Amino acid sequence: MADTHPPPGTGAGSQFDLSQFYQIFFDEAAENLDQMEHMLLHVDLATANDEQLNAIFRCAHSIKGGAATFGFADIAELTHQMESLLDRVRRRELSLTPHVVDVLLDSADLSRVLLARHQGHQSGEPPSTAELVRRISEVMAGSQPSALPSVIDSVIDSGFEATHLPVDEQRRPRKLVLRIGPMATAEAADEIASLLCSFPHVEQLHELPVLQANVRALVVETTLTDEELRDLLAFHATTDQLGIEVDPGHDAREALPAASSFNSAMSDMEDEFFGLFSGAPGLPAENAAESAAVPAGAAPERPTALSAAAFEHKVGGNGNGNGNGNGTGAGIEAATIRVAVHKVDQLINLVGELVITQAMLAQNSRDLDPRLHQQLLAGLADLDRNTRELQESVMSIRMIPMSVVFSRFPRMLRDLALKCGKNVELVTIGEATELDKSLVEKITDPLTHLLRNSCDHGIETPAERVAAGKPEHGTITLSASHQGGSIMIEVHDDGRGLSREKILRKARERGLAVSDLMSDAEVWSLVFEPGFSTAEVITDISGRGVGMDVVKRSIAALGGSVEIDSAEGYGTRISVRLPLTLAIMDGMSVAVGDEVYILPLSAVVESFQVTAGSVNTVARGTPLVKVRDEYMPVVELDRLFDVPRKGAVAGAVTGTGTGTGTGHAAIMVVIEVDDNRAALQVDQLLGQHQVVVKNLETNYRKIPNVSGATIMGDGSVALILDTAAIVRRARGSRPLPHEIGYQELGELA
Amino acid sequence: MGLPHGLDGTVEGREYLTFRIAQEEYGIDILKVREIRRYEAPTRIARTPAFIKGVVNLRGTIVPIVDLRMKLHQDCRPVYSEFTVVVILNLLDRVVGIVVDSVSDVLRLSDEQISDVPEFEGAIEVDSIEGLGTVGDRMLILLDIEKLMSNVDMGLVAADA
Repeated sequence: MADTHPPPGTGAGSQFDLSQFYQIFFDEAAENLDQMEHMLLHVDLATANDEQLNAIFRCAHSIKGGAATFGFADIAELTHQMESLLDRVRRRELSLTPHVVDVLLDSADLSRVLLARHQGHQSGEPPSTAELVRRISEVMAGSQPSALPSVIDSVIDSGFEATHLPVDEQRRPRKLVLRIGPMATAEAADEIASLLCSFPHVEQLHELPVLQANVRALVVETTLTDEELRDLLAFHATTDQLGIEVDPGHDAREALPAASSFNSAMSDMEDEFFGLFSGAPGLPAENAAESAAVPAGAAPERPTALSAAAFEHKVGGNGNGNGNGNGTGAGIEAATIRVAVHKVDQLINLVGELVITQAMLAQNSRDLDPRLHQQLLAGLADLDRNTRELQESVMSIRMIPMSVVFSRFPRMLRDLALKCGKNVELVTIGEATELDKSLVEKITDPLTHLLRNSCDHGIETPAERVAAGKPEHGTITLSASHQGGSIMIEVHDDGRGLSREKILRKARERGLAVSDLMSDAEVWSLVFEPGFSTAEVITDISGRGVGMDVVKRSIAALGGSVEIDSAEGYGTRISVRLPLTLAIMDGMSVAVGDEVYILPLSAVVESFQVTAGSVNTVARGTPLVKVRDEYMPVVELDRLFDVPRKGAVAGAVTGTGTGTGTGHAAIMVVIEVDDNRAALQVDQLLGQHQVVVKNLETNYRKIPNVSGATIMGDGSVALILDTAAIVRRARGSRPLPHEIGYQELGELA
Repeated sequence: MGLPHGLDGTVEGREYLTFRIAQEEYGIDILKVREIRRYEAPTRIARTPAFIKGVVNLRGTIVPIVDLRMKLHQDCRPVYSEFTVVVILNLLDRVVGIVVDSVSDVLRLSDEQISDVPEFEGAIEVDSIEGLGTVGDRMLILLDIEKLMSNVDMGLVAADA
């Protein structure tokens, strides 16, 4: 964070442009909101410990501080309210109830929206924070129904049950004289005064006349202790700037408008200004909607009181030393750095080039005499090793755990389940599984869709579930795991499953060619038809078709595939298979004629030589080869890619389409994709290498049966085969082997 | 580059890279040209039009190579020699190479030197010709290379894209 410090001497000036630090604030605030949401969702309401509550508090605290510093008044106000609420919770004055969590989550959501607005992502009317501020006040007020009945009556929401909250019988309203200031400006003092009065449990009785323009004195009635008052204002005024005196001779329960003499403690005041955020415009005003409308752009001019020291302090993520916010975020910052994605991409490209150059050198030096060139060869061997390690390290920069994606779902499901009136539990497995960042970003939307479908349409209502003999709460399992060179993400629910008949009926209505004889897998794949993504389908079948074509397309675009398994009454499992990374893979190079193609090693099962007689054809001349006990379709790569054969060689292998192997040996490479196998007929196996995957679409276009290209050691380009497409093609419309775990599904139900 | 500049510092007319295909001389906007290279055998891609020779590695970038002679129906059996030239172009965020017989010149043409294309029936996409340039007694066919290359028939872009 060192580079965020403002140059000395500029901090207090109004010329200082804070906007250059906005992005840091936005990033941090977003991180804090995520963290807070995560913690709120995972905290056990009954047994929440101080550590957890403090952590949640710190998040709100940090955001508030930053928002106030940068002049985002609406966020500052809202998070300030959240902070106040959380402060009460961590002091055990308020228990953490589901209602409190709801209010906090909603507030966090609104903060996100407000953040997005300030970042310029959205336009239109700014959302008002007034409603949430009111709700937070209610929650806080609700904690002490018997202590302050008049206040409660005025603000409590009729629908809110406050009786389960602990009642602090010890507390009685006190009457205090509060002295605020001297602040930097009169406005700052006013703002704090109004802020103070907007706190729950603080009721302003009247204001006392003071000598200085930047000092306010208020007579208030409150149930808060001195310490709590100081804490509440800790961000806005230092201890020195806040004077608290018990108003003598008045009992709080006496007539409210009674005036009080004010013994000014002016002599104690120090002219030295030390308030951190006293001048910031972000302080909550009484009219929340109005303050929310303060445009962000106007902010930087306003914080005249912002000293360089204060700014530095705040950007560092720390509180102002009163114990509330110590060390906020420091741990995270120490462990990670934020880097622009394009820099990493560039690094990866460069390493890719290095790998290619290294391979080229290795190839060119192969024929050198080891005795004559011993040093050179040793150097090349070192280069080889270092390049590989460098490549692995650079690639790992992009790998991030799936938990980044998964973490957003508990919240989503919670809200959705609430809305649908369902009882849904989300179980996540394999959160540590790492995936390339670019993939993580792109898989989030499809996964969100799948989970939403599961909750919305898969899981039954509690009543239906009980009637079906299932536990009341449905379970959605979201799992990620590595399987060879790919990652498998599964969304599995124990809901009602897909209905064969309904899908078939729907398909017929849509004029799709279907028959009752279709296998389950074929029937399920119908929901990927674009025609199934209309609103009426949602109600007719279990609604799996909503946008599933989009899901499938976006996953296919990532080089992945989707499969559905379902058993009516027992649930549905949707499996998404994705490559680990889009940038590099282990490949096997094969020669066909004079051409070289790359097979993803992850798809290669085995290779063997075939001789005459072991290849048979079935109808339409499709060759089949028997591998042990299994017949599998043969894909002749030379035919698939129209590889030119020189005169005599032509037709030598299996020759023309009707030929069945004319006696010449060929090499078959068995590839497997999604449990489906096919044999690729090639001329020669060349070797295995790590290949840098290059996109053909960048400058050219998508080629059928090709997933990309790579650069070989000699600098030439080789095409990487799209094994999934080739296997699908080879197996045509043959039914996919159906290996659903019915038993497993049944056990979960 | 020692080119004529107007008094106000602006450059008059536009610069064209001229190249020869058989007997004809063509010109393309020099700003689209990235570099000029020797022809090296590309990696063939199955089931593409014959004039798409394949892809080559341009310092780590996969670049498709189009034989402009074949595309313009000048000569359907081109011979590639060590003098065959590939012009690498930057077009519409893409990098594409075109094969030509020889590169001749970089010429600046003023507006007066460019005339409209007369209507004629021809194999070459007439609408990809920007105009005809006159330099002395030479006639230049000025190609809108971007338009020519982004034509779907070209096979450089997927038809459904």
